[in-house]
Amino acid sequence: MELNNNTSRVKVIASGIIPFAFVIIMMAYIFGPGSDLLDFGIPLPEITIEKIDFVDSEIQATVRNTGPIPVEVVMADVNDRIHPAAVEPDGFLERYEAALVRIPFEWNEAEPYIIGITVGDGTRFEKEIEAAAPALQPTLDLAVFFAIIGTYVGIIPVMIGLLWLPFIKKISKSKYHFFLALTAGLLLFLAFDSIEEAIEVSDESLAGSFNGSLLVATAVVLSFLGLYYSGEKLVQRANSSKLAKPVAIALMISIGIGLHNFGEGLAIGAAVGMGSIAFSTFLIVGFALHNTTEGIAIAAPMSRGKLMIGKLAAMGMIAGAPAIFGAWIGGFVYSPFTSVIFLAIGAGAIFQVIVVLMKWLREEGDRNLSSASVASGFAVGMLVMYLTSILV
Amino acid sequence: MILLVSITVGLSLIAVFPTISEAQSEQKTFVTHSGAVITTSGDVIDPLYTVSTVDFDPDEFLRNFEYGRVSTSETGQTIREYTIIAEDDKIQEISPGVFYNVWTFNGTVPGPTIRATEGDLLRIHFINNGSKEHTMHFHGIHPAGMDGVFEPVGGNGGQFVYEFEAGPVGVHPYHCHVMPLEEHIVHGLYGVFIVDPKEGRAPADEMVMVLNGLDTDFDTENNFYAANTIPFYYQHHPIQINTHELIRVYVVNMVEFDPINNLHLHGNLYKYYPTGTDVVPSFYTDMITLSQTERGIMEFEYEYPGKYLFHAHKVEFSEKGWVGIFLVQDNPNNSQELDYGT
Repeated sequence: MELNNNTSRVKVIASGIIPFAFVIIMMAYIFGPGSDLLDFGIPLPEITIEKIDFVDSEIQATVRNTGPIPVEVVMADVNDRIHPAAVEPDGFLERYEAALVRIPFEWNEAEPYIIGITVGDGTRFEKEIEAAAPALQPTLDLAVFFAIIGTYVGIIPVMIGLLWLPFIKKISKSKYHFFLALTAGLLLFLAFDSIEEAIEVSDESLAGSFNGSLLVATAVVLSFLGLYYSGEKLVQRANSSKLAKPVAIALMISIGIGLHNFGEGLAIGAAVGMGSIAFSTFLIVGFALHNTTEGIAIAAPMSRGKLMIGKLAAMGMIAGAPAIFGAWIGGFVYSPFTSVIFLAIGAGAIFQVIVVLMKWLREEGDRNLSSASVASGFAVGMLVMYLTSILV
Repeated sequence: MILLVSITVGLSLIAVFPTISEAQSEQKTFVTHSGAVITTSGDVIDPLYTVSTVDFDPDEFLRNFEYGRVSTSETGQTIREYTIIAEDDKIQEISPGVFYNVWTFNGTVPGPTIRATEGDLLRIHFINNGSKEHTMHFHGIHPAGMDGVFEPVGGNGGQFVYEFEAGPVGVHPYHCHVMPLEEHIVHGLYGVFIVDPKEGRAPADEMVMVLNGLDTDFDTENNFYAANTIPFYYQHHPIQINTHELIRVYVVNMVEFDPINNLHLHGNLYKYYPTGTDVVPSFYTDMITLSQTERGIMEFEYEYPGKYLFHAHKVEFSEKGWVGIFLVQDNPNNSQELDYGT
């Protein structure tokens, strides 16, 4: 009997391994040495200049090898004029390795510059900066400044939005559904907005080899799945504990919005960091107006529970405060890769919140999503966001 | 959730701090154009200051003239025979760290400077060891069949003998004339052909400067400019000349893509003989402008020792390599010169 058991186990293992072995043989045949089955042509070197910093008497370019083969950075130029420079830690870059190219140069504020980097086979890559501005130094003053901006953009608008809570509490069920759907509409707009922003950043500053759009898609889906899973867990726990379901949902909405606001903070910080003063002002005003509607999103599900000022304020903080962290990171350690990732995660988080909201709406609304209040709420939500986005 | 956060944090750390890797403790310093001193633990990338490892030696090319294998015909005419081999597969380091596929006559860009006296019979045994068709087209006067245009020489060992009388007097370019012409020229298939007058020119310290450019990324714009191929070379290795000694420079502009090039000399002026066909100088100037394949002879003497720049006053070119220095030293033969008066 035991022998039998053993042989059957061996059989199971063997039947699992044999196809796997064939996979390995197949891969060896396709990719292995001496195989000429796959010929993708001549691999070309490629680097991406991710970031340019203007510091005291120096221009610093962060370059990354984003091509299929190792490259060596051998020359730097400013406006197509060759200049001696230093590469740290060294000029030889493996795939995806980055280096800092320091070009001593007496640059002039507000003037445009094109920074060029040449690699070993003579190919030159360049990045244009519209107006040189001194790189931000992480001083306490600036950190405080970013914190204040983050508060104005993130916390205060969300808190203002929360003030709609008493109003939402007093309205009828169908009007309440309208507001829930409105929330979903608002959020959906924000999700698209985040994705658009992420793709824009990846197009501008991220190398093609990162597959910008696919990176965004992957991060969106992964964050959606991760948050959906943990959100369900949270709701389950909420059911068994004192935490009411509306609170759990509002909490998830807060987290989703928080991630989104983190992305907004990044955008503001990066814009200030890059010296685009007009653009950063535009972002600050726009986000601040936008974000009052986020308060409604949190308030709507909460309105059916008891009024809990403390919890509500905490959720306002969860949703709003990340804008401050975002501004810090965006301003002091901006990287296009992190921006894309955070924006995409934010979008995924929002999609998760929308799904949860829709589920809840369906349960609340007698398993019906096609009511006039839901449809109109959704539409109005999108429209409101679209109009505020035009206004600013 | 924790997993998600840690992945996010991990990814962002990688992206935010891209330069974290094995730190090198060795510090290097270098001085920039403007005199600033930079200290770095990384690599210094500098076409000027790093030790040049280039395998084409512009110093050697500068004063090298090929007179060929000389014999005399039955009629008493001097015959000069040359063997020129074209190749198009050489990867050469043309600036520190920059490797580029040059096409060469006798292994160098520019090819050898062919020099003869007016009326000499030139016999050039051309062998094409490249993979493409190549020819040699000489500027000057010669029969149609020797023009290197309608007689393409096949690659992998194709041969042709160019035979013609040297003339007219002056400095001329020669280059491959196979289409697409621009490609063949910018890759390096050119050289200088000097025809001396029968009576000769005054004794001088003679040198050849081919003004050229290299388009290393094939965007029909030059990435580098130079006198004699290697950017910044003569700034790194000044050309040593003597005071009160006649300097004669044969200048040939072989720059492609840009409509003009020029040459400005510091602290001095030169007599300029366009194309070198006349024995009377046309200009006394410190600045000439040259279109493609325009060329001429410059003659000058320095009175004061020291370092003097020469460069394209189209400053873009000089800041991409076409710049050099004459290091003028007191002439050791100055005492002899004093004897002239006695």
